[in-house]
Amino acid sequence: MPSSNPLPPKENALFKRILRCYEQKQYKNGLKFAKQILSNSKFTEHGETLAMKGLTLNCLGRKDEAYEYVRRGLRNDLRSHVCWHVYGLLQRSDKKYDEAIKCYRNALKWEKDNIQILRDLSLLQIQMRDLEGYRDTRYQLLMLRPTQRASWIGYAMSFHLLGDYKSALNILETFLDQQQKGNNYDYEHSELLLYQNMVIHESGDLKRALLHLEKREDQILDKLTLKEILGELNLDLEQYEKATKYYEQLMRRNPEKTTYYYKLIQARELVKSEDIVQFYLVLGDLYPKSNPPKRLPLNYAVGDQFKTLVDSYLRQGLRKGVPPLFVDLRSVYTDKSKVEIIEQLLLQYTDALKSIGKFAETEVNNGPKEPASALLWVYYFLAQHYDYLDQTEKALMYIDAALEHTPTLIELFVTKGRIYKHAGDPYEACKWLDEAQALDTADRYINSKCAKYMLRANKLKEAEEICSKFTREGVSAMENLNEMQCMWFQTECALAYQRLGKYGEALKKCHEVDRHFSEIIEDQFDFHTYCMRKMTLCSYVRLLRLEDVLRGHPFYFKAARCAIEVYLHLFDEPVKDENTEQELNIENLAPSELKKLRNKQRKARRKAEQESAQAAQAQVKRDQYHKAKQQGDVEADTPHLDELVPEKLAKAEDPLEQAIKFLQPLQNLAQNRIETHLMAFEIYFKKEKVLLMLQSLKRAHKLDAINPKLHSCLVRFHEFLTKNKATLDETITEVIESEKGVLFKNKDVVLLNREYLDTYGNSLEAVLEGAKMLYYLNSKLQSTALGLVTNIDNKYQDVNIKTCKNVLKSLKNGDFGPCDTEIEQFMTSCQVLFPHAIDFRSPSSIVHCESNHIPPDPDNYSSN
Amino acid sequence: MNIRCAKPEDLMNMQHCNLLCLPENYQMKYYFYHGLSWPQLSYVAEDEKGNIVGYVLAKMEEDNEDLKHGHITSLAVKRSYRRLGLAQKLMDQASEAMVECFDAKYVSLHVRKSNRAALNLYKNALKFETVEIEPKYYADGEDAYSMRRDLSEFAKKLKARDAVRNEKIEE
Repeated sequence: MPSSNPLPPKENALFKRILRCYEQKQYKNGLKFAKQILSNSKFTEHGETLAMKGLTLNCLGRKDEAYEYVRRGLRNDLRSHVCWHVYGLLQRSDKKYDEAIKCYRNALKWEKDNIQILRDLSLLQIQMRDLEGYRDTRYQLLMLRPTQRASWIGYAMSFHLLGDYKSALNILETFLDQQQKGNNYDYEHSELLLYQNMVIHESGDLKRALLHLEKREDQILDKLTLKEILGELNLDLEQYEKATKYYEQLMRRNPEKTTYYYKLIQARELVKSEDIVQFYLVLGDLYPKSNPPKRLPLNYAVGDQFKTLVDSYLRQGLRKGVPPLFVDLRSVYTDKSKVEIIEQLLLQYTDALKSIGKFAETEVNNGPKEPASALLWVYYFLAQHYDYLDQTEKALMYIDAALEHTPTLIELFVTKGRIYKHAGDPYEACKWLDEAQALDTADRYINSKCAKYMLRANKLKEAEEICSKFTREGVSAMENLNEMQCMWFQTECALAYQRLGKYGEALKKCHEVDRHFSEIIEDQFDFHTYCMRKMTLCSYVRLLRLEDVLRGHPFYFKAARCAIEVYLHLFDEPVKDENTEQELNIENLAPSELKKLRNKQRKARRKAEQESAQAAQAQVKRDQYHKAKQQGDVEADTPHLDELVPEKLAKAEDPLEQAIKFLQPLQNLAQNRIETHLMAFEIYFKKEKVLLMLQSLKRAHKLDAINPKLHSCLVRFHEFLTKNKATLDETITEVIESEKGVLFKNKDVVLLNREYLDTYGNSLEAVLEGAKMLYYLNSKLQSTALGLVTNIDNKYQDVNIKTCKNVLKSLKNGDFGPCDTEIEQFMTSCQVLFPHAIDFRSPSSIVHCESNHIPPDPDNYSSN
Repeated sequence: MNIRCAKPEDLMNMQHCNLLCLPENYQMKYYFYHGLSWPQLSYVAEDEKGNIVGYVLAKMEEDNEDLKHGHITSLAVKRSYRRLGLAQKLMDQASEAMVECFDAKYVSLHVRKSNRAALNLYKNALKFETVEIEPKYYADGEDAYSMRRDLSEFAKKLKARDAVRNEKIEE
């Protein structure tokens, strides 16, 4: 310990006590001992003591003082590994991992074999995925502690994660060879062998992997995983007979796992649909209580055979009263002929049950009657069936028949609500869910659904109130749901706020979801050590891989999309300041002056915000200090996150930069969704970043070259290039020229648009974009453009609520210039087509259940 | 419907399912803790699109005073997927894994006194017995039945099944 300022024995003993107090979380005592050293005039500036005092203060939540002391300590003793280590720990507690790594490295310069620092460093390296650094640190740890199991495993794993399977396996083998070979194999040994097998498997040497497992079968306790891998390896090695045997065994154990059936079909080399159906029928006899052998053949059978099979499947479900029968069968609805067969059968059941109490009138003389409830379940099924097919009136007729049959069945209320939701009336939908919820207030699932429907109807207050029936008492439901990381709720709130034009609130919810993801990424930290001890290494590796792509989860996508849309909107229409009178005169200003004014306002706003933020922070600090003082030794190792204030978020200085923050994870993890690149285009279009626009368009083009939204982006890009030709950099122009062939087929923009309209003239979705661009390129063509999207009778094959809503949104958004008459006419014709949908009614005519909230106004949607 | 052992990738969707269905919720880290301590014990039921419609989150109780036993931390099936027998199938798979990997002698759980549907399932379909009433077990002050199911019969049955059918696969 080359401290430049070693303490004499008495003080040194005190210093050791500070360390012990820190470990035992006796922070106040620690401070006392520090004071004893520092009050000695010879040691007032003793670096390591100052640093430890800082670290201790940090644990008491006094962050600023902590940094002050630690830094002062370090300055006084730059060659002390303790000071550097402490500084690293401080940064780590603030999640500044990169900084912390640097500190640890400096600490190791002065004390290269310090186990604790090496361990801390290795944890940060794996957390940050500095895999090469991790490998080097694990090597040092192995050299220093060759007898410890974790040393070997960690070193081997570093190679595995780097893709160097050979080295990883060498280390694992060496380690396993040293192990004493007893007959009593334990769980940890079993897990280690499975991990070893995972590495072999991933190295691609399937034969070796198979041999490895076969030799160690008896040592592995997790027989399920063992057999699943054996089955898979044999299958991939085309050893079908052996694979068959494994999958048969697995099936006996869990006949509800569908994968086993698919693998067995593969192992038996069945390809013809008839053979596959037959295969399922045989297994159905073997496993009469299992669902897959009955349900899966319906995916393969066709015609009469399908009819026979689905007939018996339906009867069984209806007789027993299985509520999910329809959702279970929904996936065969992609086949129209199957839909017809199912409909026929159900109509037949209805008639026969009504007349003779059986599923078929031909069966009048055989067998007992069906239970009275069978008819109810038939009605229930038919209601969902017609709802799925967008035949709202029939769906309502059947759900009402069911409700008349059994007025208390909650599922019926839920379905009725769903029918209204699909028909475009979120208020009526919400009413029915509220009724359902009232019938069983102890069921959280119904409660959750009700809350969701309320949010769809923009009733945020009611939704929170409903949720509060199941959240902890003493805190607000909103707070509790945030603490529990209830992302579906927060995202639905964000979307409701967005519809209502409460952009700050919407952003707050989106940021909360984003923070959950950050927190979940943090969560892995403790498992780096924990899993090495527990030996659950396969699961650990899967966790690491999961965390690497965590923001690829659909929950993130949904929240990020909302945030990006809101930020784009805020860029176009910044939130107005209440106290700027100049706003009134905006209309009289030239665009350039307006821009200047906006900039000025932004700057002023920024300054004011900074000041108020500083004041707020000072307050927070004071509060924390007092709190810490009152509560004594409280651990405050979670860094203080800035409070999310809606007003501030809505007035973001740099909305496009904020949007990019949400976009980036999508570009890495949701690159297969075209929306990602279309959103990217919108952002860069507003930022006028030509090459990034080009990049987004190329990526989108690769995914779906004829996507309607992509088309309008291409046209706008084309126009942008023409208009900015003179100012573009030469090299940029060159790059773009080389891409024009693919993106624009080297056509001029008018032709490009006309051809698009001609080619996809039977799709309203496509024509909407084409027509928008028609007007965009030449405003004289307004009436032609409007005609294309508002005369929708019999011309398009995709006239539905969604496409018509998009047309209306676009009309109201001004994409076609002023067109109030056309809007009114369009709404009238849509009203005829979709009588339940509220979007096409004039706002005054909407009556909705006991609510004071304004109905959603499409004007409030962001322009994206 | 597909029933299979839960992977780390499933844990977030299990949390989602839990938040929809039950009043007792946990942060993700607690799900990770289960999935990384006893990866064999938790199971999910998913629909054809891969949405989780039911799950069982399970662990081992590792205090030495007692017999080795498993514990059901949480079990839920979405209301819209009831009457398919999913809960029972999930529980059977989890219990089998407890016996196989950790030599569990019994499995325990808590259930709200007021939750008659769940009580019925545990008592009648799954053969759980009430051991005691734990007063004010839940955060809102409700009492819990502490229940357990003996797994020794289950273990024997599994052994017998394996003995008959688990013919070792030779070259």
